[in-house]
Amino acid sequence: MIPGKLIRFLEHANLAFVGSRDRDLVPFGHRVCGWRVGADQRTMTILLPDEFLTTLLESLQQNGELAVTVEEFPSHETYQFKGRYLHHRGIQDDDVEVVDRARRRFVKSLRPMYTDAPEHVLNAFVSPPSLAVEFEVLEIYLQTPGPGAGTRLIPPTER
Amino acid sequence: MPMTRLPPEIRPVLENGTPGVMVTCSADGKPNTTVISQVYYVDETHAALSFQFFSKTIRNVRENPRAFVCVFDIVGNSHWALQLAFERSETEGPVFDAMDMQIEAIASMTGMSGIFKLRAADIYRVLSVEKVQHPG
Repeated sequence: MIPGKLIRFLEHANLAFVGSRDRDLVPFGHRVCGWRVGADQRTMTILLPDEFLTTLLESLQQNGELAVTVEEFPSHETYQFKGRYLHHRGIQDDDVEVVDRARRRFVKSLRPMYTDAPEHVLNAFVSPPSLAVEFEVLEIYLQTPGPGAGTRLIPPTER
Repeated sequence: MPMTRLPPEIRPVLENGTPGVMVTCSADGKPNTTVISQVYYVDETHAALSFQFFSKTIRNVRENPRAFVCVFDIVGNSHWALQLAFERSETEGPVFDAMDMQIEAIASMTGMSGIFKLRAADIYRVLSVEKVQHPG
């Protein structure tokens, strides 16, 4: 189960990326433009732009393995959610709203670094979603840079 | 169209200070995704990544040398996707020294001084590189 603290983190994080791999264990990565936690707090849905989706779906349907890293910039608070593909679907209206909120957070976080960049340039970097992928979260890792990076949070590591 | 050599136009993107992302895969087939602070241009066919912590990424590439790296050009509204293969690790020499200096600079710019510390420069061969222009 995804803890409440991490659900709150996901509501203010501003950057995410998903990794998959093919049958030959060759890794591949995909931008993520939005994310949400399922009502059961055991699943997540990631929203993906129209890039390499055939490659991603082939891998997910073949082996089901995926890992999603979500970061809050500029604090660098980062978590990785590893899990198993459940299904995919087309985009719904409320998915677009999720991406719009993620885009606003992303642009706000970048503004101090890109003071001269026009708003539409920064907005365009978070592409509109084309596909939603739901997965079961099986493990969560702390990835914030520092000595604790890599610690498994869920399920807790036995001491 | 994928290339097998790093083109000159990728160099400013590698040096823009924007964090990238790396995906590796363990021998038992679990992908791992992580944010990386730096991808260092070695030559047309090699890139170096920093080894700062004994992480899952470091363990994975020593079990399965394949890696995927994505670097972002935010103002250019694009990203570059690189397929890499781990070749060797260097703990001294010009590549290590240059990366060490860059990491210090990134750490001080991002308030992470004392947390980022280069243990080794991991050298990767470039298998493919592709620029992806985003819509809009």
